[in-house]
Amino acid sequence: MATQTTPPRFADITVGQAIPALVKRPTGLQLFRYSAVTWNAHLIHYDDAYARSEGYPAVLVQSHLHGAFLIQAALDWAGPGARLRRFRWENRHLAVPGDVLTCDGRVTATRTEDGFGVVECELFEHNQDGKLCAPGWAVIGFPLTQGESA
Amino acid sequence: MSGDLFEQTYERAKAVVGQVHQLPLGRMSKKEFQRFAYACGDVSPRYVDDDAARAEGFPEAVAPPLFLSGVMGWEPGPAEEDLRPDGTGKSETVGLPLEGLRLMGAGQDIELHHDVVDGMDIVAHISLDGVDLKQGRSGTLLLVRVLRRYVDGEGREVLTCRESFIAR
Repeated sequence: MATQTTPPRFADITVGQAIPALVKRPTGLQLFRYSAVTWNAHLIHYDDAYARSEGYPAVLVQSHLHGAFLIQAALDWAGPGARLRRFRWENRHLAVPGDVLTCDGRVTATRTEDGFGVVECELFEHNQDGKLCAPGWAVIGFPLTQGESA
Repeated sequence: MSGDLFEQTYERAKAVVGQVHQLPLGRMSKKEFQRFAYACGDVSPRYVDDDAARAEGFPEAVAPPLFLSGVMGWEPGPAEEDLRPDGTGKSETVGLPLEGLRLMGAGQDIELHHDVVDGMDIVAHISLDGVDLKQGRSGTLLLVRVLRRYVDGEGREVLTCRESFIAR
C-alpha cells in the first residue's frame, strides 16, 4: 500500500507534487488469478516452462495488470471521492513474479473544470533494478470543498 | 510468420480500418468485477462495498477502471480444442482479420464517461483505428491500434478505449 493516509484537498495540490510510492510484488498466484478472471488462457502468464521456452525468465505480468497497478497508485493517493477521468499507459519492459514494482509519479497540471478540480499526473512503474516497466498518465477529478473556487 | 503472410495480413487489416464490429458483452456482474479487483490486489471500498461506494458519491459498488478493457473474453468459450498450443484462442483477434498473428498488449488509453455497475448491459463497438508494418529488433511486426467504444443499454458511451497491440 501507499504510505499516505490522508487524501489531499484539491486546493493544496501543486504542480510537481509527488504521488507516493505504491509497491507491488506480483506473485505467480496473482498472475494465475488475473488470467482466470480476465479469461486469458495464454500460457505465458501461468506456465513457467512455456514462458521459458519462449525465451522469458519466467511467467510474465499481464500488460493490463501493469496499468491496474499504476491506477491504484494514483487513486490511493487521490482518496475517496476522486474520479479517474482518463488514463493511459505503455508497456516498456517485462515483469515477472518476484519483481518489486514501485509505482509513483508527480502532478503535472491542475485546473478547475465544470465544478471539479482536475489534476493531471504522470506515473511510473519501475522494477527493483530501476528499469521503467510502464510509464502512465492520468487525469483525476476531485470534488471541490467549501472555499475552493469552481 | 513469413514476410509474405505479414504483408497479406497488413493489406487485409488496412482494408477494414474504420469498420465497426459489435460485440455484446452481456450483463455486468458485480461478482465478476469484484473478482477482478481482488486479482489486481486493489480492493478499494468503491469496488467491493456498496455502502462505502455510496459514501464516495457512487451509485453503488463500481467496476475498477480497467475491468471492461482488461477482460480478454466475454463469451463462454472457446473450447480447449479451439486454443492454439500457447493457450490463446484462435479467434482472439478482437474481431479483426488478424488470424495467424499473436497479439501482445502494448498499452491502452481509456476515457471513463460513466460508472460501470452491476446489471448494466454493455455492447463493445470495435474498430481497427490503424495498422503499421514495422521492422522491430526481432523482425517484422505489425503495430495495431484498436478503438473500442463500450455502450450501455441506454446508448450511453461508458468507456472509450484505444489500445495498441504488437502483432507477430
